[in-house]
Amino acid sequence: MTSDQLEQAGQYVLGLLGDDERRIFEAEIASDTELAKAVNKLRDHFHRLDDTAAALPPNPELWNKIEARLGSSPIDLAALRNRPTASPSRAWLPFAAAASIVVALGVGYMVGSTLGTTRQPEMIAVLVNEADATPGAIIEAFADDSVRVISLDNFVIPPGQVLEVWTLPDADTGPVSLGTFTDASTLRLTGPDLPAPHVGQLYEITVEPSPGSPTGRPTGPILVKGFAKQPV
Amino acid sequence: MLMLMPDVTDISDLLARIGRRDRNALAALFDHESGRLVAIAQRIVRRRDLAEDVVQEVFITVWARADQFDPSRGSARGWLTTMTRNRALNLIRDDARVDYHDVGVISDLGDRQFDALAAFDTLSERDALRHCLGALDEPKRQAILLCYVTGLNHGEAAATLKAPLGTVKAWIRRGVLALQECLA
Repeated sequence: MTSDQLEQAGQYVLGLLGDDERRIFEAEIASDTELAKAVNKLRDHFHRLDDTAAALPPNPELWNKIEARLGSSPIDLAALRNRPTASPSRAWLPFAAAASIVVALGVGYMVGSTLGTTRQPEMIAVLVNEADATPGAIIEAFADDSVRVISLDNFVIPPGQVLEVWTLPDADTGPVSLGTFTDASTLRLTGPDLPAPHVGQLYEITVEPSPGSPTGRPTGPILVKGFAKQPV
Repeated sequence: MLMLMPDVTDISDLLARIGRRDRNALAALFDHESGRLVAIAQRIVRRRDLAEDVVQEVFITVWARADQFDPSRGSARGWLTTMTRNRALNLIRDDARVDYHDVGVISDLGDRQFDALAAFDTLSERDALRHCLGALDEPKRQAILLCYVTGLNHGEAAATLKAPLGTVKAWIRRGVLALQECLA
């Protein structure tokens, strides 16, 4: 390493390089592992000076600001599910008992739907809130890549956020977005061209920043999820 | 001084969980690290509210990019420290430069000198950096400490040390070379 490089490494760690010099030097670091090592070593030494700053107590207000920018938290999630009629005893219902509610709901719902429409879904998934195992939405998946979402909870969606419906056709494909919505009601979404839905296929709804997940994959907390079953 | 120094692996563990969108892990990281990072940023930006703004951005970045943390390039704790320092430096560099004719600002520069020297004095006696900084002449040591600890640029360091700009630049140039030779 040249003494020029050592000098630049020093100025870089001290934060004294101008914008252009810094960019050029960073490009040099990226292509020179010996230089990168020297910079990291020097930086580690200097971090001892940072460690002498007496830590302040964590500020809860600062955390609130950070959390607000992340979107809704798991705790906010409970508030999202606006269910004033839910009995408090439901919170401790064992999963088996909750599952029987799911079945009952599914059956009742099927009766209603066969009266209303002649079109049969290929698959139905009852999406359940994992925290208390109560059903939150039903997804009917049709052969033409469309789904019908029936909300069972009156989801209250904060401004700037949307609910995004996902499915996992298989592990290789990964999660695929079927669309977003902001109004908890019955709606139809048409997803991309996918293989016909199969038994056990995962469906879930996550909370994402508007107008939808920035990465094309679920990034926010899972509101409800469930696996597809074939109607009899 | 008593310092909470969470285990290095703890923090990289938390970062791995944050990369999997675990908010509890982010909250735990905040509890562990935010107070330390605010204190580091405040040495540079001077005001608590600005220091907290810096740390807010750091945590948002961590949430978005925890999966980009590369343990082969240094410790997780060091990654957070570097990110905080860079944000703080960007904030003061982007701002209008300080006017040294302002009396209030001159007393602020005195505070910086105090902070820089206090940081040096707090280093452990066995610390290699302390040993090597101690081996430098006083003006070189002061110039380096002022720039690193409180984020001054060459011109501000010159104003604080009441020395010509060219002299201060030379002190720093020769100082960082001697320092690296000593640390090697």
